[in-house]
Amino acid sequence: MPLCGLHNMVTAGLFSEKKLQDAEAIANDYGYATIKAALNFGFLTRKEYVGFLEEEGFPLIDIRAEELDLLYLEQCDLQHLNAFLYCPVRMEADGLLVAAGDPMDEKLIAGLSSKFDCPIKMVAASDLDITWLVHKYRGEYYVKEAVFSLMRKDPESSGIITFTDPQLISIFGMIMLFFVLLVVNFVKTAIFFNLLLSVTFLFAILFKLFLALRGSQSELQESVTKEEVMAVDNSTLPIYTILLPVYKEDKLIRKLIWNLRALDYPRDKLDVKLLIEEDDDKTLNAVRALDFPANFEVIVVPFHMPKTKPKACNYGLFFSRGQYLTIYDAEDIPDADQLKKVHVLFNKLTPDYVVLQGALNYFNKNENFLTRMFTLEYSYWFDYMLTGLQTVDTPIPLGGTSNHFKLDKLIELGAWDPFNVTEDADLGVRVFEKLYRIGVVSSTTLEEANNEPFNWIRQRSRWIKGYMQTFLVHMRNPAHLVQRIGWKGFFGFNFFIGGTSVTFLVYPVLLMFFFVYLIFDLTAVKALFPPWVLYVGIFNFIAGNVLMIYINMLAVFKRRYYELILFAMLNPVYWLMHSIAAYKGLWQLIYKPFYWEKTNHGLTKMSHSSAAAAASTT
Amino acid sequence: MKKKLPGHIIRILSLMMVVYYLFLSWVTHRAGFDHSEALFLSEKLRLLFETDEQTLLILGTTFPSIPFLSSIVFSPLGYLFAPIACSILFTVLLFYFILMDFNEDSSFSPRLFLPIVLIIFILHPGIIYSATSGRSNAASFFFFYMVYRSFFKFYQTQTSFYLSMSSIFLSCLIFCNFNFIWLLIAFFPFIVLVSLEGLKISKDQPPMNQYFEAINIRSQRRKLTNRTVAIYIVIFMLPFGAAGLFYYLNNTHAANGVYFLSSQYANWRVTGLDFIDGLLEQFADTNLRYQTQLVFQGYALLLTPLLIGTLFFFRGKLYETFTVISPFIWMSVILLSARYYLTIEYYLFLLILAFTILIFKISSRHKKGVLYPVLIIATVLNIGTGILYFKRTNDVLETQFYSVLTNSKTWFEPRTESENARIARFINEIADEGNKVLLDDAAAYTIVPYLESLKKVVLPLQESFVTVVENPPLGARYMVVAKRVNKLHNYTVLNAYNLALMQKRINLQPLMLLETDNWVVYSM
Repeated sequence: MPLCGLHNMVTAGLFSEKKLQDAEAIANDYGYATIKAALNFGFLTRKEYVGFLEEEGFPLIDIRAEELDLLYLEQCDLQHLNAFLYCPVRMEADGLLVAAGDPMDEKLIAGLSSKFDCPIKMVAASDLDITWLVHKYRGEYYVKEAVFSLMRKDPESSGIITFTDPQLISIFGMIMLFFVLLVVNFVKTAIFFNLLLSVTFLFAILFKLFLALRGSQSELQESVTKEEVMAVDNSTLPIYTILLPVYKEDKLIRKLIWNLRALDYPRDKLDVKLLIEEDDDKTLNAVRALDFPANFEVIVVPFHMPKTKPKACNYGLFFSRGQYLTIYDAEDIPDADQLKKVHVLFNKLTPDYVVLQGALNYFNKNENFLTRMFTLEYSYWFDYMLTGLQTVDTPIPLGGTSNHFKLDKLIELGAWDPFNVTEDADLGVRVFEKLYRIGVVSSTTLEEANNEPFNWIRQRSRWIKGYMQTFLVHMRNPAHLVQRIGWKGFFGFNFFIGGTSVTFLVYPVLLMFFFVYLIFDLTAVKALFPPWVLYVGIFNFIAGNVLMIYINMLAVFKRRYYELILFAMLNPVYWLMHSIAAYKGLWQLIYKPFYWEKTNHGLTKMSHSSAAAAASTT
Repeated sequence: MKKKLPGHIIRILSLMMVVYYLFLSWVTHRAGFDHSEALFLSEKLRLLFETDEQTLLILGTTFPSIPFLSSIVFSPLGYLFAPIACSILFTVLLFYFILMDFNEDSSFSPRLFLPIVLIIFILHPGIIYSATSGRSNAASFFFFYMVYRSFFKFYQTQTSFYLSMSSIFLSCLIFCNFNFIWLLIAFFPFIVLVSLEGLKISKDQPPMNQYFEAINIRSQRRKLTNRTVAIYIVIFMLPFGAAGLFYYLNNTHAANGVYFLSSQYANWRVTGLDFIDGLLEQFADTNLRYQTQLVFQGYALLLTPLLIGTLFFFRGKLYETFTVISPFIWMSVILLSARYYLTIEYYLFLLILAFTILIFKISSRHKKGVLYPVLIIATVLNIGTGILYFKRTNDVLETQFYSVLTNSKTWFEPRTESENARIARFINEIADEGNKVLLDDAAAYTIVPYLESLKKVVLPLQESFVTVVENPPLGARYMVVAKRVNKLHNYTVLNAYNLALMQKRINLQPLMLLETDNWVVYSM
């Protein structure tokens, strides 16, 4: 039987036989080199391994600084390079120089010798550097597929074109019509648009209230019970892929490992991929510097525009081996039994359910005004609105993380749109369009609430821009959309996806009217709008605000965040921030549609454990 | 397993109730009965659709808003019929929900609940009165039921859905009868106990131990306080928010925040209620003598044997008991300020409450041998007490309705023309667009619905009204004046007193053309 470096470690007493057997079993299942399994499934730290290699006479070379002859690299398949952690460097006098994670892997040496028909000279290199290098030079096909696959297979669903010609004609046509009507009859046109805006505003909020109330009916229902989770036989569980797209999240890597360790799922069945951008040495070095075993595999996403999270996830799909797949952010703390719950629920549901959305909430809710408002918002969104949407059978915009897919169906759907900055919401609508269904799993992932106003606006402007993109993509052919998702779905889509952006854009306009009327009592305003229009406008505006506050107040009940209820009164202020973000998003939609506003994480001074401790002592 | 009534049977029964109430409203109308509140709503509907002036004021300030706005839906069927259709709709909705809830949520078999519900809805004169008179009471009963239903469902499920629904229905209830704003006071005492129920504190311990823990353990006390405040806010936010918004809009557009409560042009209650001062001569042996603190609640309870029977079997937690008591607390608050006779609705709320308790809090398995006969007897007695109420009522319209309802011989006799209809017919005959009639609908709202066209009259909502009142011959040829005996004499500018002033000031020489009990039509 061919030996590898780990066998030598066992012989040297640095690695246990049991661990070796386990690592080999995983390597067989996944088709990896044993060293890859050992380094990525928590058996071995990189530092220990590097120390052993040096003792064995294999000091690490800096492969990224080596002169590389691509002729040899190009003869190798990326999947194989990635799985067996090697990289042909160049031909030297005494043979082909190959850098490998495990230079003592006899099977690999034999394979390469046969492939290149020459002697192989093995040197050791960091598995992370090898990964970086092979993805950089051999990942072009995959990254292009990640970017253009959806556009090629399903151009109708791709957001590469933001505004189609008919949409542009319609938009400019409407603007022109508006001005013509203003010229023809200024007052009546102003009245009409005032009413249109205020009625839309109120209607969108009433729809949200309706959904929240529908959702609150099933407030205490558990889609999967604890007993069902307890009854799961671990040996029957499938491989579960977890994608962790990160960018410059070096501070969160340690936290990430602990959070992943807390998951109640067999370690050998967790296929965790940390997706690192090619230019993100910070995160790569943070992984390298870890002094405890990592439980994830690093995938380096080669540079390609647009530089978005969906592109990275699409790229990661090529290396995913799970039956199910989910995405978490680096700072996420999922419920320990979340993956098992998903497995149980998928088995309970009909096969047309292809994705399950978990609830998101925040561990740093009491940090400041923003985090409190954010917590209220997420609580009503995930605990009430999504359940409400599910009951009325309309498209559910997926949340950014904790959405669990059946991998084969995800690929069939064309995966994420790399040109859409809220790819998850877009995918949710696409799932519905393709006549599949989305379920909601009663499990929560705690995230870090954005606690800094400018960072918040950046993040929110991306979300709202993404909603606008999604709306434009799916409304390219409204008749066709109605045909596919029915009137109910169409109505829900318009009010939930389209209406959300519109309400934020309209809000400051209505607020301005209200204050002008209230404070200045301008005669001009009175002349422009007859009393009944002002009555309706003010009614809609105040009723809309009161109802929105009310929806936020409902949010506290499920999670017993009663202390936040009074903060719901500040929702109008929070909405103003949304409006700022909405206008920023609109501006970016026109000028930089694919630009990904990066949200900085790790700003909180609270950890999950400190938050929990604070809660328990009060 | 409980035997259930098929859903379509309940729907058919509801439709039959619609037909039944339609028939009764038709015969009572034929016999000359029209309730002034229904006429008030009819008049506002007419003004809304047939005039161009003050549309906003009519639409936005006419109170009670929900019955009025709901009547708009039926206005194509006729202005006079619309409020009646609306009251029938709300009564049948109440009937439907009660049957559905009995069927789905109670442990009673249709053999018991069907007779009880049918007897009450078919025979109780108070229910028939609410359904067929076009008053806003029917809507109040429906929302009152929905509020308490939501509370009891919340107690069962502990989901915020029912808490929100109770808040929404409470807002609707307030917009059917503003007195219900005082019901919020009655809710104050038990919310703490409700909130305690939601906290998972030593559930297996007796309640006293739970209270002890909740109050003495700091973290539990904090949770209890937060949850209590949260529940208060969620229940009270919408009613107060809605009332505040309505106040603001009234203030903006009528220059008076309580215009909807205080103006005779916006609210029937301003002119329609019978003030106690005017009823004192009828004090002996009537309902009025029992309308004092504590006595009234006992008397109302006595007139609701079904509630007495229900309370006999009621076994609930402390907060559920408080919930049951809350309407009595509300009555106490009403009595503090009420200077008017409390009509049938203030008694019937207890009957609705009885249904709620029966559905959600009484188990048919408990003392089954006694329960069934007691409830059936109480139901039959309830019909008797309903009749008793009407026999001793101090309200003229209730007396009139009861007399019409019980005198079935008059149902199919030639149609009786009411005083209002008679005046309207006269105006239709003499007036035209060139010879208008000056009319103040503050008091004459009962006449307006019978008119052929509003083009023949000058009303206060028209800009010219003030000028015409100052000098009637300038804009009208005829004038309808309230006599001194007219109960609404003091609410209108067109009364005997002002007529005398006009005669003096502008030397007006009016010629009496028609005189009825309450009105005189003059030619100028």
